[in-house]
Amino acid sequence: MPPARDAMAHRGDDDEVCPVCKSSRYLNPDMRFLINPECYHKMCESCVDRIFSSGPANCPVAGCHKTLRKNRFRKQTFEDINVEREVDIRRRVMQVLNRREEEFDSKRAYDDFLEQREEIIANLVHGTDVAKTESDLQRYASENMRSIRANQALEAQEASSFREQQTQEQELARLRREAARQEYENERKELLAGREDVLSRLAAGRPGDAAAIAREGQKVLLKKSSARRSEEDRIRQKQAALRNSDARKAGQGPLTTADRADDGGAPSLIKGLKKIKTPEPEKPYDPFGGLVPNQRDYYTLRDYYPNSYLDPIRQDSRMQAGGYDLQEYYSRTLMEAFAGLGCFLDEEVSKRDITNTSNVSRPVATEGAALAAVSSTGAPEESS
Amino acid sequence: MIEDDVYRSSSQFRLWSFTEASLKSLRATTNTVASDRVRAALRRAQDARRSANSSATGTPAPGSDAESKATEEKPIDCLTPEEEQQVVDYYSEQIIQLGENYKPPLPTIVRATAIQYLRRFYLTNSPMTYHPKQIMPCALFLATKTDNYYLSLRQFTEGVPGQPAAEDIIAPEFLVMQSLRFTFDVRHPFRGLEGGVMELRAISQGQGQPAPHLLAQTPEDLRRGLFSLSPSSASAAAMNDRISRAHHATREILKTAAQITDAYFLYTPSQIWLSALLLADRPLAEFYLDTKLGGPITTQQEGNPLYALRTKLLLTLNNCATILQAYKPLASDDVRMKTLKRIIGKKLYHCQNPEKANLAGQKRIPAAAAAAAAGESGTSESEMERLAKKRKLEHGNEPKDLFGGDLVMQRTKEKQLDG
Repeated sequence: MPPARDAMAHRGDDDEVCPVCKSSRYLNPDMRFLINPECYHKMCESCVDRIFSSGPANCPVAGCHKTLRKNRFRKQTFEDINVEREVDIRRRVMQVLNRREEEFDSKRAYDDFLEQREEIIANLVHGTDVAKTESDLQRYASENMRSIRANQALEAQEASSFREQQTQEQELARLRREAARQEYENERKELLAGREDVLSRLAAGRPGDAAAIAREGQKVLLKKSSARRSEEDRIRQKQAALRNSDARKAGQGPLTTADRADDGGAPSLIKGLKKIKTPEPEKPYDPFGGLVPNQRDYYTLRDYYPNSYLDPIRQDSRMQAGGYDLQEYYSRTLMEAFAGLGCFLDEEVSKRDITNTSNVSRPVATEGAALAAVSSTGAPEESS
Repeated sequence: MIEDDVYRSSSQFRLWSFTEASLKSLRATTNTVASDRVRAALRRAQDARRSANSSATGTPAPGSDAESKATEEKPIDCLTPEEEQQVVDYYSEQIIQLGENYKPPLPTIVRATAIQYLRRFYLTNSPMTYHPKQIMPCALFLATKTDNYYLSLRQFTEGVPGQPAAEDIIAPEFLVMQSLRFTFDVRHPFRGLEGGVMELRAISQGQGQPAPHLLAQTPEDLRRGLFSLSPSSASAAAMNDRISRAHHATREILKTAAQITDAYFLYTPSQIWLSALLLADRPLAEFYLDTKLGGPITTQQEGNPLYALRTKLLLTLNNCATILQAYKPLASDDVRMKTLKRIIGKKLYHCQNPEKANLAGQKRIPAAAAAAAAGESGTSESEMERLAKKRKLEHGNEPKDLFGGDLVMQRTKEKQLDG
């Protein structure tokens, strides 16, 4: 910091003299000054070439031991070197802390984030708590690599689309101007032509018709201009509509797909980010609702059962040709052998009847169903 | 148990399963309602006859009046629920006989289905209302259709004794279907029996499969267990013979006793065939149950759910077996046959509901018959409304008629001219 302040103090004097080689602009009008964002010491182009061409070297300014590289040297944008530095820091921090408003739960959280960012920038600029702030920033950058990248991409996209839109608008404005000029020309030409036409007819015609011819010419001109005006209106409306649709298209900003990798572990630098709801992965469809297809509780199905009646069918290709499968018979007979073995009707039916009578609104759709209610209503006959 | 849940989804379980008490009360309700209706119908018929008589003769003869009074005072003797039950049983047996009339005879399963249809029908209807003589062939014909045993109506009619008209057989068809609540699925124990026997044979040949909850069983264990049953026999042929005999006997029980009793209403098909097997060969049936539900009862099995199921199941099977065993064919019992003849021949004849007698005719003009049966109060508002609507509709159409309006105008004009 001190060198920068010194530079600022003596700027008026040093302006035209390179602090390293002491050559002045007076002798070398093409002299350009460069700075390095490492220490912001100013030096002339020839000095940079001389000192740093053979690789990184120490800053030649006395008392500054920063190692500089040639490729980092650049032209100074702002006259004030402090502003230059702050802008650099700001750019760097903004690149890392590039959360967007839509990523936050509330407006308040976003404002807090902005304030926090400004604080970090101020810390770095004024040199308070630099080490901690830097380490925080580093950690955040490494943890949120993906979201930072995504947001950078988004920004780049937005910037490019904005540029594109602007050039498009300029092009449109140019076209409009062109059209207006063209129109003005046409109008003038027509006016002149009309006048000439009237004059020639006056010259050719009889003197009595003069007034009539003049009136007719006026009428033709009026008609033409009104037609043109309506045409103009039409075009203008069309253009307006076009512009509107363009604006609308541009308004649909791309949605953020940033990953907000907030984990419950270390406390994150930024608070108030929206929780990411990762949709639960869809389970594979289970057509049996949890039942195992061939599971049974009373028996285990075999592939073959000895049976003198069925054995001939096994051998007979005529019987099996149509797709008859003895396995079906086995599974069906055994299923029917045990289906309902554990249903004790005297218990289950009485339980069912209780629930039925308590449930008054039994669906009685047909007369057949009405018959079902016979035990409760006592009307077994069908309608009479 | 998965198999039990499969059965619980059937209409037989949902609609046609009862406890003994609920079955009895349902029959009693049906009987009282039917008796009331029969009495009311007979009184109406008498009134109609008397009014016809009086209008015919002009002045009511004192003698006939007294006579009608006498008949009126004599209470009409209706059937009791027990008598109704006997009538239905008799006609159930008749279905078995009727099945024999065809060449080839109708399959057992068709007859069994028909019997169950008949029995289900008479749960909510009384023989006094619809005579079983009419319903029985219809139920059988319906069963041939639902069990996929095709017979044309003409073929079927030829087998029915008394050669009724084809229309008479199918006349009550819709009525029967309605009373069945359109559930035609009857779960029979026959196929289950085949499955059980199939597995017993597999065990006897050393190919038994352990039950899913008792994986410790080996085929050899099962085989040894089977061969060590009480009248023990060493040879495989003898065991095969024993299984065949048990199979046959069980089948006979299922064909008759299980059909004519209330077993279908009170027990599930697998319980029915197992209790029939208990009757046919008790050691064999118990052995088979043990292979499924674990060995005989021991004290250490107290908490085991299979043990609880086994005790409960044995009780249920024994109850069912008692019902099946109590059955005796009517034809073999002269005394019962005689009382039955009296019931059907005289009592049922007298207390038959006269308004439901002609099913075929009723079907042809249902609305009119219904209106007549219901009396004057029955020609309800709906009928009047319908007529009114019809009239209105016709009236409303008139002005739109292309030529009708003109004619009226013409006539009025003529009138005006005349005037």
